[in-house]
Parts: sequence; C-alpha cells; structure tokens
Amino acid sequence: MKKLATISVVLVAALLGITSYLGLAVAPTEQTMGDVQRIFYYHVPSGWVAFLCFFINFVASAVYLWKRSAGSDALAAASAEVGVVFCTVLLITGPLWARPVWGIWWTWDARLTTTLVLWLIYVSYLVLRRFAAGGQTQVLAAAFAIFGFADVPIVYMSIRWFRTQHPSPVMGGGQNSGLDPAMAHVFLTNLAAFTLMGIVFLVLRYKLQMQEHALESAHAQAALKGVA
Amino acid sequence: MNGIVFLKAAYAVSWIIYLGYLGRILLRMKKVAAEREELDRTIPRNAAPATLKRSAV
Repeated sequence: MKKLATISVVLVAALLGITSYLGLAVAPTEQTMGDVQRIFYYHVPSGWVAFLCFFINFVASAVYLWKRSAGSDALAAASAEVGVVFCTVLLITGPLWARPVWGIWWTWDARLTTTLVLWLIYVSYLVLRRFAAGGQTQVLAAAFAIFGFADVPIVYMSIRWFRTQHPSPVMGGGQNSGLDPAMAHVFLTNLAAFTLMGIVFLVLRYKLQMQEHALESAHAQAALKGVA
Repeated sequence: MNGIVFLKAAYAVSWIIYLGYLGRILLRMKKVAAEREELDRTIPRNAAPATLKRSAV
C-alpha cells in the first residue's frame, strides 16, 4: 500500500511537472492572445480525459446491465468520479481563459452550457450512487449513465453545429483549423500525459471501489455470523 | 488585468485538484484497509455463522 501510494504520487507529480514545463516554457507564445493561450494545454487534455472516462462509464454500465458483475459496476463508479474531476478542471480553466480574452467569465453559449449540463449529469450520477436506498441502486445508476452519456456527443459537436462564442475546433475543424507544429507537439504530449494520469486515477479508484465492495461483503458476513 | 495571473491560477488550480484527488483516493484506501484488518481481527474468516446453525434434532 505504501509502495503503491509513493509510486502513484511520484508519477502524477512528474506528469503534472512535465506538462506544466511544456505548456509554460516550451510551447511558443500565441500571436493574438499571448501567454494566456497556454491554458489550452491543460484545458483541452482535461476535457479529453473527462470524455474518455464518461465513455468508459457508458460501456461499463451497459456491461453491468447485461452481466450484473461487480467489476463492471466498480469500473462505472470509478470512471464517473474520475471524469467529474477532469470535467471540473475543464470548467474552471475555461473561465480563467475567457476572462482576459473575452472580458467575461461565462456566457450561456452551446459549448459552455452543454458542458455544464454534462458535469451536472455525472455529479447527479454520483449522488444517486451515494444516497439511493435499496438493492437496485446499481441498476438505476447504470440506466442513468447510459442516457446521461447522450450529452457527450452533443458537447463535442456543439461548436460544429452552432455558432458559438467558444473558439472553433483547433484539431479536426476543417480547412481553417490547425496548430503550429511546435504547439501541436506540446499539445499531443500533454494529451498523452493527461491520458496516462487519468488511467492512474482510474486504476486506483477502481481498486478502492473493489476494496469497499469486499469490505461491505465482509461486514454482511460478520453480521450473519452474529459477531460484528 | 494581466493574463499571466489567470494563466498561473489555471495551472495552480489544476495541480491542487489533481493532487488533492489523488490524496483523497489514497487516504480512503488506507482507511478501508485498516477497517478490513480490524474486522478480520474481530472475526476469524472461517468462523461458523452463529445464527444459521442447524439444530441437532
């Protein structure tokens, strides 16, 4: 346990250190926005990992409804929580970029609003798991997650479907989109580093979920034996 | 206001959230492990269920 804790803390701190160095010192300064554009190297990878986690949650929830296995339920719970953490960073770094660039913290445009709704959906999912009573909590949560995931493609497509204040897609946004090669190099490295950090969180959180499940079962057995 | 302040704030908040979350997971793991150890000490894993014993009749 001590070894696992040390390795994970060192790994996550190293990933944060490398991504900060690349974003703050290596990436070139953007012509129009200046240094504040460097928030992009944390903002977009955080959003990507959040989407990835919500996709894992969707798949794990579907598998749980089909197989009713404790492992898929644990993975669904873990991925939703990790996704909410990354989505929280996305929603905080966005306004911190918007204030100096747009002059406002927030606007109710399609991308921002659908992302906030996405965050609220998965916070509701976690609240449901935490507070729902009865034996059907996991089934309800899995069904909720499958419908909740419908917002992910809407968030992704919102800047393509609607004219928004949010910038157009930088990658895969058509002829006028794209990144300077030096910027793209930093961006893709940060994307990979954040993905690895997300995997570390997911593995640890899944392990915790399974340990909690085993502890609950042990408590139930102890109660049955009339000891605890 | 200078954009550098917002840039530093964005990176600092991200560090705090990610490291804080990692710390929270590790603390919860430690707590669960301790609770499991305590439970195992209280009741041996192969103890027979007291309430479900069959009568000798």
